[in-house]
Amino acid sequence: MIYFQSVKMPELDQENQAPEQQTSAVPAYNPEVLQDMLPVYYRRLFPHQPFYRWLSYGLTEDGVFCNREISFTLQDDIYIRYLCFESQAELEKEICSRNPVKIDIGPVMHTRPKNHRTVPGGLTPVQRELVFDIDMTDYDDVRTCCSGAGVCLKCWKFMVLAARILDVALREDFGFEHIIWIFSGRRGIHCWVCDHQARHLDGRGRFAVAEYLNIISYINFSGSNSPRCPMGDRPHHSLKRALKIAEPMFEEIILEDQNLFGTPKGVSKLLNMVHDDPARGDLESYLQKNVEDGAHSRLVWESFIKYANSMRTSTANAWSRKLKNIVQEVQLGLLYPRLDINVTRGFNHLLKAPFCIHPATGKVCVPFSVSAVAKFDPTTVPTITQLLHEINAFDDKSKSYMEAPEDKSRIKDHKKTSMFKGVVVFEEFLRKLERSHKAATLQF
Amino acid sequence: MEFRLKKRPRLEVKAEVVSLESKYPQNVMMYHYPPTDDVHIEEFEELALERLRLLRVLDRASTRNLRLLSDEWKEYVNAELTREGLRSYLRLCSAGGGTKHEADMQARRRDYISHFILRLAYCRSEDLIRWFVAREMELFRYKFAALSSTEVKQFLEANKFEVQPLTEAQKDEVKDGLYESTVGQSVAKIELLDFYKVPFTQVMDLVRSRRCYLKAGFAYVNTHDLVSIVGTRQQDEIERGLLAAKGLVEEVEGDERISRMLKALHNSYTGKDYTVCRDAAVPIESLDQLSKTSMPLCMRMCHEHLRAQHHIKHGGRMQYGLFLKGIGVTLEDSLRFWREEFTKKMDADKFARSYEYNIYHNYGKKGSMVNYTPYSCAKIIKEMATPGDCHGCPYRYMDPGSLKTKLSSYGLSASAIEEVMFFVSRGHYQIGCGKYFQITHNATAEPTINHPNSYFEESQITMGNRQKRTTGSAAPKARARPDIKGCGDRSMLMGDDDDELWRIAETQERAMQSQKAISEAFDDDLDLTQIDY
Repeated sequence: MIYFQSVKMPELDQENQAPEQQTSAVPAYNPEVLQDMLPVYYRRLFPHQPFYRWLSYGLTEDGVFCNREISFTLQDDIYIRYLCFESQAELEKEICSRNPVKIDIGPVMHTRPKNHRTVPGGLTPVQRELVFDIDMTDYDDVRTCCSGAGVCLKCWKFMVLAARILDVALREDFGFEHIIWIFSGRRGIHCWVCDHQARHLDGRGRFAVAEYLNIISYINFSGSNSPRCPMGDRPHHSLKRALKIAEPMFEEIILEDQNLFGTPKGVSKLLNMVHDDPARGDLESYLQKNVEDGAHSRLVWESFIKYANSMRTSTANAWSRKLKNIVQEVQLGLLYPRLDINVTRGFNHLLKAPFCIHPATGKVCVPFSVSAVAKFDPTTVPTITQLLHEINAFDDKSKSYMEAPEDKSRIKDHKKTSMFKGVVVFEEFLRKLERSHKAATLQF
Repeated sequence: MEFRLKKRPRLEVKAEVVSLESKYPQNVMMYHYPPTDDVHIEEFEELALERLRLLRVLDRASTRNLRLLSDEWKEYVNAELTREGLRSYLRLCSAGGGTKHEADMQARRRDYISHFILRLAYCRSEDLIRWFVAREMELFRYKFAALSSTEVKQFLEANKFEVQPLTEAQKDEVKDGLYESTVGQSVAKIELLDFYKVPFTQVMDLVRSRRCYLKAGFAYVNTHDLVSIVGTRQQDEIERGLLAAKGLVEEVEGDERISRMLKALHNSYTGKDYTVCRDAAVPIESLDQLSKTSMPLCMRMCHEHLRAQHHIKHGGRMQYGLFLKGIGVTLEDSLRFWREEFTKKMDADKFARSYEYNIYHNYGKKGSMVNYTPYSCAKIIKEMATPGDCHGCPYRYMDPGSLKTKLSSYGLSASAIEEVMFFVSRGHYQIGCGKYFQITHNATAEPTINHPNSYFEESQITMGNRQKRTTGSAAPKARARPDIKGCGDRSMLMGDDDDELWRIAETQERAMQSQKAISEAFDDDLDLTQIDY
C-alpha cells in the first residue's frame, strides 16, 4: 500500500507502524453509503489538529483563523457558504456533527464571514493562499490512454511534470517556500502556496504570477484547439528550465505511452502546432511522402526533427526565424502545466480542502511530496471504504480500540491506515511553516 | 478635495508662474495629493471634458490594437490630439519639457486637476474603474517615456523612490540570468545597463509578461524598465484614489451642477451599462433566429456549440449567459433555455444541482448577490479558451483558415471574407467584427464594436426592430441613473436589504431636495419630468 516514496518520519514509534499487512479483500467503494461512512472518517481519521495548525498560521495575524470562510457541501448538494469558526474545537465539532461531503476553503475576510448579510459594504477578502488547480481533462487532446474523468499511471505523468515544473518555478523565481501539493481525489492536483507574501498578494499580483507561469495559449483549428507556446528569440530562463525538466520525459510520455502522432489525426495535431501556414503545408507533404499513415509516433517525430533541422540550416526561411525553436515549442506545448488560471487569479475562489473524500471515487485528497511525485500512484490512493476496513482490521487485531480511552486512540487512528503517509507529508510541511512563524515573531 | 464653487474672474486662477512651477515641478507627477485650488465651475467642466477627449484618443488607439508607445501608436495619438485641439497635453508628452513657459505650467496644472475630477466620474463601477485606470496608465507611460534621464532622476528623487543600481560585483553574480531573461535589450547593451533589484510585486507588468529576470522573489530591472516600478506605484495611487473618491462622491454630488455633469460624463463616453436590460424581453424561442441575424460571431458560436453539444463549459456559460441577460432574456426564460438544452445530455436533477445556482448567481439572485455585467470585447478578447471551450473572441483565437471556412459557411462571399480577414490578420479584431456587421447588415459604414451587447442592439436598430434611444441631452441620462444605481453598482448590493432600502430612500429624499433647489435656480431650462427618481 505504499503510494509514494517513503518520507523520513522521525516521530514514528514502532508499535504504531503503518500496517502493510492488508487483509485480503478490500471492499470496493460504494457512493451510496458514503454518508454512513463519513461520521467514522471524521471522528477517527480526519487530521483535525494538523488541519487547524495549518489554517491558524500560529495565530500570528489577527483573525487569520476565525475570519476564514469555510463552506460545507452536505448530502444532496446542500451548499452552505460563509461558515467560520472560532477555534479548533468548534471546527472539529461542526465537521463531526454535519459530516460534510466536501469542505471548501475560501479567503480570510476582514471580519467574520457568517455576518455577511449585516456587514455594510459586504465582505472584503484580506488574504488567501496562492492556489493552483491542474485538471487532467485539460490534457484530453494530448492523451490517448484515458479521457474525461479517467486517469491511469500513463497520463498521471503529465501531472508529475506539471508539479515538478511549477514547484521549482515557485521556489526559485518567486522565493516561495511553503508549498503543499494535494491530490484532488480523482483526476487533478491542487497546489497551495502558503508563504506570508503569497497569501497577501493582491488581485493584480495573483494575475501577474498566474500569467508568468501560464505560457500556453490556444489557437482554434476547425473545432479543435492547438496549443501554442512561443519562446521568442532568447527564451526566458523559466522556459529553459521547464524545458530541461520536460524534455527527458517527452519520448516516454508523448511518443511511447501516448503514441500521440500514431494516427492521421495525431499527425495533424503536430502540424497544427507549426505556426506558419506555408511551412505547415511543406511539412505536411514531406511527412506524407516519408512516413506511412499510422506509423509509430517515434518515426513521425524523427522525420519532423530531420525536416526542421535540414530546413533551418539550408536557407533563410520561416524555419530559421519564426520557427527556430519549433521543436522545443512543440515539446513544451504538449507537456507544460496547463493551469486553470482563473482559480489562481481569484482572490475569492473556494478550493476543496485537503483530506476531503472525493464523493465520486471515495478517495482521500491526500497531500504528496513533489520530490517523490513520480512514485505517487493515483490509482492506489486509499478510499474511505478501504480506510475504515483498515482501522477495523487493526482494531480486531490489537483489541486496543475498545479498551483505550477514546481521545487517546483517536489521535493515532490515521497512523493505522494507508492514509498515514499523506499526514506525514502534511506534518512536515507544517513543521517548516511553524518554524517560519517563530522566526517571524523573533524579528519583531 | 475641495470644490469651492464661488464665481471668480478667471484671471485670478492664472496665478504667477513661479508658484505654479513649485506646485507642478515636472511634466510627470504622482497623483498623490488632491489639488486644493479653487476651480471655476465652467473650468471644472471644461477640464473634465478635455481629459475625457484625451482618454478617448488613447482608447481609440488601443481599439486599433496599436502597440503602446510604438511609432504607429505615437503617430496616431499625436495626430488625434492635434485634431482634438489638445496640443497642451501633447506638449506634456514630448521631450524637452525643461522649458519654463507659462503655457507648460498651465498644462501641468490642467493635467493634474482634470485627473482628479475624472476620478469622481469613474469611481462608480468596476468597469469604469478598469477603463479609466488603463487609459490613465497609458497616458502616464507616454509622458514618462518623454522624460530625459536627468528628469527621470529628478522625478525619482522628488518622489522618494529609493532604488540603487547593482554594483558590478552584484551584477556579475546574476549575469547569466540577466542575459537570458532581460527582454528588449541586446546582450551588449545589458552589459552596460544599470540594473535594479526590487521585490517582484513592484513590477507586476514585467513579471506577467516574463520580461525580466526573476530570482527568489526579486526582479532585476534595467534602467529602461524603471517606468514599471514607477507605474506600479502610480497605478496603486490611482486605484486607491478611486476607492477614496467613491466615498467622497456622494458629498460632491450634493451640488446638482456637478452631479449632473459627472453623471452625463461617463454615460456619454463609455457606452452603456448592460447589467440590466431596459428593453423589452427577448423570448428564447427567437434565439435561433437572432443568433443568425443579430449576434456577433463570439455569441453565435456559443449558441451553435450549445445547440450541437447540449453543453458548454463554464467560461462559455458566463460569456453567453450574461450576454443573453443583457439582450433581455428573463431569469425564468434563461433557466428554461439552459435546462432544455442541458437536459438532453443529463437528467434534470443533475442540472438543478450543478448549473441552476450559476444562473441565479449571474442574475444576482444567489451568493454574493451581485448583478453581473455582460462581458465587453476587451474582456472577451483577453479570455483564453482552453480545449473544449467555445468562448473568447473567435477573430483572435481561431486559426485564419478555420475562421475563413466558418465565415463562408455563414454565407459571406470570398471578397467579403478577405475584407474581414484584412483587419483580423493585423490584430484589429474589433474592426474585423465591425466589418462583419457591415457586410451582414448591408450597412453603409461599419460601427465601432466594443461590446457584444452593443453589436446586438445596433443590429436590432438597423433592422428596425428597436428604437434608438434618444441620446445627447443630459436629462434622459439622469433618468437612466436610478436603474444603474439599483443594480449596476456592485458595492451596494453586497450589503443587506435594509441597507439598500435605506439608501434608496435617502437618494430619493436628496433628489427631491435638489429638484426643489434646481427648480428655483434653473426654472427656465430644465425639464423636471425627466428626472424620475
